[in-house]
Amino acid sequence: MAEKGVESKRLKEVTSLVRKGARRITLSIGDGANDVSMIQAAHVGVGISGQEGMQAVMASDFSIAQFRFLTDLLLVHGRWSYHRICKVVTYFFYKNLTFTLTQFWFTFQTGFSGQRFYDDWFQSLYNVIFTALPVIVFGLFDKDVSASLSRKYPELYKEGIRNTFFKWRVVGIWAFFAIYQSLVLHYFVLAPTSSGINSSGKMFGLWDVSTMAFTCIVVTVNLRLLMMCNTITRWHYISVGGSILAWFIFVFIYSGVALPKAQENIYFVIYVLMSTVCFYLTLLLVPIAALLCDFVYQGVQRWFFPYDYQIIQEIHRHEPDNSRVGLLEIGNELSQDEARSFAIAQLPGQKSKHTGFAFDSPGYESFFASQAGVFVPQRAWDVARRASMKSRAKTPRKN
Amino acid sequence: MGDSRFTQQELPACKPILTPRWVISTFMFVSLVFIPIGVASLFASRDVVEIIDRYETDCIPQDFKNDKVKYIQTPGEKTCNRTLTVPKHMKHPIYVYYQLDNFYQNHRRYVKSRSDKQLRNPNSENDASACKPEDMANGMPIVPCGLIAWSLFNDTYSFSRTNQILTVNKKGISWKSDRDHKFGKNVYPKNFQSGKLIGGANLSSSIPLSEQEDLIVWMRTAALPTFRKLYGKIEVDLQEGEVINVTVENNYNTYSFNGKKKLVLSTTSWLGGKNDFLGTAYLTVGGLCFLLAMAFTIVYLIKPRRLGDPSYLSWNQNPGGH
Repeated sequence: MAEKGVESKRLKEVTSLVRKGARRITLSIGDGANDVSMIQAAHVGVGISGQEGMQAVMASDFSIAQFRFLTDLLLVHGRWSYHRICKVVTYFFYKNLTFTLTQFWFTFQTGFSGQRFYDDWFQSLYNVIFTALPVIVFGLFDKDVSASLSRKYPELYKEGIRNTFFKWRVVGIWAFFAIYQSLVLHYFVLAPTSSGINSSGKMFGLWDVSTMAFTCIVVTVNLRLLMMCNTITRWHYISVGGSILAWFIFVFIYSGVALPKAQENIYFVIYVLMSTVCFYLTLLLVPIAALLCDFVYQGVQRWFFPYDYQIIQEIHRHEPDNSRVGLLEIGNELSQDEARSFAIAQLPGQKSKHTGFAFDSPGYESFFASQAGVFVPQRAWDVARRASMKSRAKTPRKN
Repeated sequence: MGDSRFTQQELPACKPILTPRWVISTFMFVSLVFIPIGVASLFASRDVVEIIDRYETDCIPQDFKNDKVKYIQTPGEKTCNRTLTVPKHMKHPIYVYYQLDNFYQNHRRYVKSRSDKQLRNPNSENDASACKPEDMANGMPIVPCGLIAWSLFNDTYSFSRTNQILTVNKKGISWKSDRDHKFGKNVYPKNFQSGKLIGGANLSSSIPLSEQEDLIVWMRTAALPTFRKLYGKIEVDLQEGEVINVTVENNYNTYSFNGKKKLVLSTTSWLGGKNDFLGTAYLTVGGLCFLLAMAFTIVYLIKPRRLGDPSYLSWNQNPGGH
């Protein structure tokens, strides 16, 4: 809702009516001081920075410079945000569920005495160092489709309206795979250790097995993140590879240094592990066996029950990555309207990202354009045209 | 907020799409890698010869069958003779293990009942607080303290065949890192098993901890309640069909908690002892991937979908709207 010259109380009342009465998600947009209460009353308040001052901007959740940027705000960035938040939240629960369940299965083997499976430091740093960065990178950069495609297919916005990616069914599927993976990660790691694990016949102890399991988990959940990415930048490789590398560096140091700690459970464990073939074979087997189910599910889902954005990805899969947002394709065939829009977009007032009118000042376009040396044919509502007509002494109203 | 490619989210990126070609190729690749590994692992495991002999019930004399705990707690020698038949030629070194079932070395209070500082350093012998109740006896600290050391396994085995004694090499049965760093070269057992309750073996107070390999092996607590630990090595070959006589000193009390005791003789391969799991798991996953590749190929042929078919878009499917 955006209105000029309407009393702010009226604006607020209408917004609240829609919000509470009709129980809809509301967005209101405005640029003036009279819009502030309306902006605050809606779920999402958008303020336009510009000629009428900054009050609307300061009261708003999002501020944009021009009214026409609202398209991008909703269809591109809003939609991407929804997609990213859903995935980040469900992934976060998945990785913690998988990790914690492996401990849970262990309680059955310890006589329910509450012995931890992992060393305390492993457990504390799991979420802080070894699995933190990749999900942040995903949340920052993932795009299901590019910005221009988001604008071309506004129907994609419906996925957010229908809450397609955060239904109970989606959460349940993540939970199911977390349980499956935790079972694989726990039992597949324990099973090979029941007899001598290398040619010298020696046996693994509790901390050897748990370090091996932890390594497998860190690798598995990080690879799972790559599987859910639609866009993979080099930061993805750096964060995923870096997290796994950070784990190895940490455990090399932690188990290599004989610190005067009370208990030295993990002393030298990783070096003992890495001297056996069993460790490498387990490290190859377990993540793949754990992710197998997810992979099958993704293959089946994508092919037989695809989401809209997946179809659009496929339709446009051969197009080059035109990631420059906002630039019109300057081909040789522009229609009249497109040529006109392009010419106007080049005007200084329109090019600025920081100031602007709430509206595109359609009445003044030809005037500004002629000032900048661009010819733009006059429209019926053009101010200059109407001013040239004999008329009553009234200020021209903007539409 | 600048205009760099990073802040404007315009980083170059690859956009992988899981097409049928990728799905099938991935499955085929995994099965091509996994099946040979599985076969090799399974062969290695099959090559290992293992003899397992459960003896804790049979080693109780007839008179005490109804009160095994009383028998085991009576002092004195409790010798038991067992015979093993070698099923296949066993190449040396043949590893001798004792296996315990239903023994929870991974119990929380058991695992923490030790003092690694004390084990390493003779000056830290008073650092025994985590070892309660096995920290002090007669007002003096116990070295090595704790329940783990106190419950040291004390059955012994001696082997012979046709009147020729088979020596068991008990050196080098522990991990080198434990011997070199975790157990001190100048820490000697002190005040050990001197309380009223004796939990297991006694330790010679003239041998430093770094050479007490039975203790070192025992103190690397096992992950599961069924575990085996290395006892020693036999350095000669055993021929198929040979009969080995084992003299067991049945000292360790597993009867109070229905634990089982087993004697295990095993050869090893490059992969270790007899464990079919890795081989079977690799073959199963590899085989499953192969089947899935075939299944997906068939399904894609039967129910094809053109890549990027717009008729799958939800707004093209319901012309009447949602």
